[in-house]
Amino acid sequence: MTLTPLNAVLFGVVLLLVVGFYGLLITRNLIKIVLVLQILVKAVVVALVLGGKASGNLGLGQSLAATVIVADTIVAVVALALAVQVRRRVGTLDLAKISSLRG
Amino acid sequence: MAAILIGLVIGLPWLGAIVIWRTTDDTPHLQHTLAVAFSIAAGLASLALIRFSSAETAISIPMGRYFGDLTFTADGLAVTLTAIACVIGSLAVIFSVDYMHGEGQLGRYYSFVLLFIGAMTGLLLSGNLLFMFFFWEITALCSYALISFYNDDPKAVAGGIKALIITQVGGVGLLAGALTTYSALGSYQVSDLIARAGTIPAGLLAVIAFGFLLAAAAKSAQFPFHTWLPDAMEAPTPISALIHAATMVNAGVYLLARFYPAFEHVPGWTMSVLMVGLITAFIAAVSALIATDLKRTLAYSTVSQLGYMVYAIGAGGVFASQFHLLSHAVFKALLFLAAGSVIHSIGTRDMRRMGGLGKRMPFVRNMFIVGALALAGVPILNGFWSKELILEVGLQGSPIWAYGLMLLGAGLTAFYTFRMVWLVFFGAERDQLHVHNAGSAMKVALGILAAGTFVTWLFFGGLNGLLASTLPFHEIEHESLMELVTAIPSAPATWLALLVVALGAGVSWVRVRGLRLFGGGWLDLLVETSFGFDSLNQTIAKGVNKLAGRLSFTQTGVLSWNVVGILGALLVVLIFLVWSA
Amino acid sequence: MTETFYYIVLGLGASFCAYRAMISKHILPSTLYLAGVSALVTITLYLLGAYEVAVIELSVGAGLVTVLLVYALSVIGEDVVDPTSIIPKPLAFLLVAGIGGLAIWMAYPLVIHPNANGEVLLANVLWKQRALDVWVQVALIFSGVMGVLGLLSEKVHPQGQETQIHEVQAVREEHGIAIQIEQELHV
Repeated sequence: MTLTPLNAVLFGVVLLLVVGFYGLLITRNLIKIVLVLQILVKAVVVALVLGGKASGNLGLGQSLAATVIVADTIVAVVALALAVQVRRRVGTLDLAKISSLRG
Repeated sequence: MAAILIGLVIGLPWLGAIVIWRTTDDTPHLQHTLAVAFSIAAGLASLALIRFSSAETAISIPMGRYFGDLTFTADGLAVTLTAIACVIGSLAVIFSVDYMHGEGQLGRYYSFVLLFIGAMTGLLLSGNLLFMFFFWEITALCSYALISFYNDDPKAVAGGIKALIITQVGGVGLLAGALTTYSALGSYQVSDLIARAGTIPAGLLAVIAFGFLLAAAAKSAQFPFHTWLPDAMEAPTPISALIHAATMVNAGVYLLARFYPAFEHVPGWTMSVLMVGLITAFIAAVSALIATDLKRTLAYSTVSQLGYMVYAIGAGGVFASQFHLLSHAVFKALLFLAAGSVIHSIGTRDMRRMGGLGKRMPFVRNMFIVGALALAGVPILNGFWSKELILEVGLQGSPIWAYGLMLLGAGLTAFYTFRMVWLVFFGAERDQLHVHNAGSAMKVALGILAAGTFVTWLFFGGLNGLLASTLPFHEIEHESLMELVTAIPSAPATWLALLVVALGAGVSWVRVRGLRLFGGGWLDLLVETSFGFDSLNQTIAKGVNKLAGRLSFTQTGVLSWNVVGILGALLVVLIFLVWSA
Repeated sequence: MTETFYYIVLGLGASFCAYRAMISKHILPSTLYLAGVSALVTITLYLLGAYEVAVIELSVGAGLVTVLLVYALSVIGEDVVDPTSIIPKPLAFLLVAGIGGLAIWMAYPLVIHPNANGEVLLANVLWKQRALDVWVQVALIFSGVMGVLGLLSEKVHPQGQETQIHEVQAVREEHGIAIQIEQELHV
């Protein structure tokens, strides 16, 4: 089984995704969650460009990737603002203690 | 022209709903005026539409690949029911001017009433199954909102939710039928379903047929979904007259009548329809015998008469059912509105506290008696002609025992009707009640409806011609009014039915004069739980609540478990995709 | 062949940095590792031929996000949270391995060779064909600005933070007692 360059990129993307998902499940710190989301975003960006390259429409792939970067950075900003407010009002960033939506 | 009128008939009530929504509740006079104006305009448009009805599609708007075309067809069936809905709607709104005088939140009331009228006409005129479902759901929403109009009263709220849940279960049947039609035929158009029903594989056609039967039974409060209509009587009486007697509950009968040619050859369908109608008519009539709440009696009576209509469709008499639908809408609305006058003036619905009101409310008494005579099937009034037509159709198209039970039901109808009349308007006064006679708006509405009960049967020929010419698949025979007038009085079945009716009236006279209210014991218990079905409803509701309580442990509130849920779902989707590839 | 080798090295390096970012106990090292991931991803994008996006990725991922995280950290203060995870690790591992495996299984046949027909200029796509996206991004940036304002607002004194925690706990106790009383009354 020969490994073409694009296959190699695919493996890298899936590996990043796997690490990102695992981190999302494991971590207990609200700010770490924002961080892990950023890892996932990078994986998605590479995946979009990869898809563009494989289907020949690199311009479309890049344009979508740029949109995703902008959108997910805004998500990171808003999520961090929320995390700061949570820290100020509840007093902790531990996910196990932030469970007022219980039941 | 038909297209413009259709647009007016649906758009005017909706425009009125929006306009009244924007008015504030400190201008009740303006709200009353606007509501009456818009509903009368819609009523006139619907009457004008009768002139232009045809079997062709009047409006067709392409809505993209996945929804088909949004079509409206003004054929005879749709136009008749639209006229009923809009005209009786306007009469109910006129009645509301007096009935809801001084009530709070009129804006909410009138907006929902007008929204309902528009949605009902949309449902009737729609030629696209998916949009028919859409309008169906809007009418269910308005019905819920209006039943729970007095939302401080827990009984009203409970009644509204019960009606909503049960009619939604029926809506699932309609949606399933619509989607199955699309998957079998590639089109949502009603005309396609009726024309090409023969090309659908038998299993799928059975799914569609029984799905529609489910929807119709739930909407028209037929067995086994008959429990919601009596509880829906917590609504203000004009709403009971409009939605739960003359309009929304007819949607189920309309559905069955519309799709009869498509489903009549599905094995077991016509027999199921017949049985559903029969059982409903009978058990509702029995329940009405011992009910003590005036509106509840009328509700049971509505369910029973709808059972007659469904029975007629099952026996093959689509035209007979529509004729009875027309008569029933008029006299039942009359009865409800008259009852509303009584309830509004004395403040209670309990018949055990009424009595002898006829002397103090003569006009209402007379109107109520006219409606009662029509309900019982006394000659000359419209109820007589249509009920006899149904019984005749039943004699030809259904087993003899079914016919016999329906005949007995006619007798029971007469019994409980006269019992009701006697308990409310005659006899000695059983309680000290303050009585004032009906207001002028009420009188206008009642008078028009009473005149209608004398007159609507004369439209037999016109209705027959309309339906026969615009419904190509229904195979309705052309009959004229003269044929009706000569055929029915000469049929021996008619005299048999009249005998049973007289018997029922006589028995009621005897028993009720002695004030034996014919209840007690096992019959009471049976009716209380709606022949077991209300307890079934309660059990289901309790079971669902308990299950939800037990499952609440899944809502941990911790983000990590929610992420597990998301990723688990992703895994399931991926497995599904890989497996099916 | 060397191209494949580069991609493999870059992929492994990015994953390693991501793993370290996830694992480390303090936020500051995680942020630096994230910047590393960003840099390696940028190189990958450059090699794939997406030059514009590579630049955007570098400046946003390695620059903006790092600054953002460091600023949020400075506002909150380092909070060492118990590192044991709430979800049992085997469950997480299985879930994630399943997803990864299936993703590769499905996507593998689709990305084998680059297709070179109908190349459209990025400028063309971005500003003409997907012009709606640009408007969406503008709206998003506005909401992001408001988010930053939320980040900057309400600077509370360190003592104020402690009293807030105490107040919150006191309110919770009261609520708990109130519920108990209510239950007793019902019973």
